[in-house]
Amino acid sequence: MKEIWVYSESAPVSNELATAASELARVPGWRAVVLELDSPRDGVFSPSGKLVLRAESRIAGSADTAAHAIVEAATKLEPVAILVGSTRLGRELAARLAVRLGRGCLSEAFDLSTDGAYLSGKRYVYAGRVVASVSAPVPCIATVKLGSYSQLADGSSEADEMHVGGAGAGLKVLDVRRKQASAVDLKSAKVIVSAGRGIRKKEDLELIEKLASAVGGAVGCSRPLSSDLGWLPEEHHIGLTGVTVHPDLYLAVGISGQLQHVAGIKDSKVIAAINSDRDAPIFQASDYGAVGDLYKIVPEMLKILSGS
Amino acid sequence: MRIAVCVKQAVDEGELRLDSEGSPVLSGAATKMSTFDKNGVEEAVRKKSEAGGEVVVFTAGPQDAKRTMKEALAMGADRGVHVVVGSEDQDALLTSYLLSRAIKASGHFDLVITSEGSSDTYTGLVGPMLAEWLSLPFIGYVRKIELRGPAVTAERALEDTVEVVEAALPVVVSVVSEINEPRYPTLIQIMQAGKKQIEELRAESLLDGAPKVGSKVLGMKAQSVARKKVIFEGDPQDVARKLVESLRAEGVLKR
Repeated sequence: MKEIWVYSESAPVSNELATAASELARVPGWRAVVLELDSPRDGVFSPSGKLVLRAESRIAGSADTAAHAIVEAATKLEPVAILVGSTRLGRELAARLAVRLGRGCLSEAFDLSTDGAYLSGKRYVYAGRVVASVSAPVPCIATVKLGSYSQLADGSSEADEMHVGGAGAGLKVLDVRRKQASAVDLKSAKVIVSAGRGIRKKEDLELIEKLASAVGGAVGCSRPLSSDLGWLPEEHHIGLTGVTVHPDLYLAVGISGQLQHVAGIKDSKVIAAINSDRDAPIFQASDYGAVGDLYKIVPEMLKILSGS
Repeated sequence: MRIAVCVKQAVDEGELRLDSEGSPVLSGAATKMSTFDKNGVEEAVRKKSEAGGEVVVFTAGPQDAKRTMKEALAMGADRGVHVVVGSEDQDALLTSYLLSRAIKASGHFDLVITSEGSSDTYTGLVGPMLAEWLSLPFIGYVRKIELRGPAVTAERALEDTVEVVEAALPVVVSVVSEINEPRYPTLIQIMQAGKKQIEELRAESLLDGAPKVGSKVLGMKAQSVARKKVIFEGDPQDVARKLVESLRAEGVLKR
């Protein structure tokens, strides 16, 4: 039996990978295996069993120690593919695995498929304007784009164990701060109201906050507001290098719609925009566009939404 | 302190044209220094001005990538090493390998800086792969670096947390765009950059020991944007009403 391994330090992401792996495991003789480091986690599901890697010291928690453990296990058991969640630590882990195992690596892939000889998939390039078809010969590594598979919600409780040597330095972590809850919420928000350079001064963000609260949404922003102006914490920055969001409604207020910003919102169900510039690129990426002064349109929206 | 900073000459995603079939026209496409690499170069130059030493800029790309290298030199890097890549299929694994060979051949470095990913293909793999090839610790997604004698402390932003981590030098870091505001070189700096040394290495001469496998791009197609693009213009009150009504009709407004 050939095994497709999946690993993510995040339980929901691991469950997405498990779905991806079980689809690939339709190839005769292939089987999906969910890796666990140190100990199995509740709420992490596998279609056909887990493999728990243990060492004298803790393996999870650093991409370096995780890579050492997984490389040792993979050298013995020779999986046909290792799927890793495309989180920030996941990308580091995948990169390390590819070099140490000498394997090709797909990055941020979705729509994965295989003919048994190659692992193929798609990925966005050029700030989301283009979809590339990519492939690597198996065995190989792939990071899987977050949110591109549904989460497996049930599975086999079968688990094998393997002891590994345990190595790798890991970094000395001096302090861990949680990001602001509001920012973390952006990823799961159903409605997002986002502000851009069309806002003239920091105090005017109140207008955006009012609108967000009137529609029950979270507040996001384009890069200039968090990075150049510092009006909002950078955790609110939506875009290619910021948070990628997929709400039912994304309402862009005073955002011109640079490619890097649009790359972070294209999975939204409905996109609406308010902008004074009729030619702003955001309107090309929107379902509904309101052309005009946001300082006039937003207050009118607030009146309608409050029923007055 | 010796600092290596890696840059890529990337396809300008904003200027990219699509042919009638929806495939991107890459031959002769406009290119530029990958947006976030400017943050990498800026950080390298700032750290040099704090600690003294030398900044060497590295790239692995076609002959024309010299333009991007000159831009980095104008921003304040002292000299460049250009791995000239011909027709080799260049995925992250090969790029990181070539950069690691060039870095190793250029002496000891205390700090190796990349950006989190390139603005055109954005795999986010080259930084950590480079750390592997060089057998150095890696700190990814860094938004603040402080030099503390033989070590660095860095703030790295993960999905839900920000960690402050410490590593002994030498170390590889990848930076995010929030770390700084890249400078614009002056005309004088641009002219002076022309006199700075760029060493050329041929990729073919570095291929012994290179990874034999890799990932391939089989084809590319424009992402079709199936948006309705309905526009409301005119009286603000009227525009606001139409917008709210449309969003209610879509069922995406609960109130």
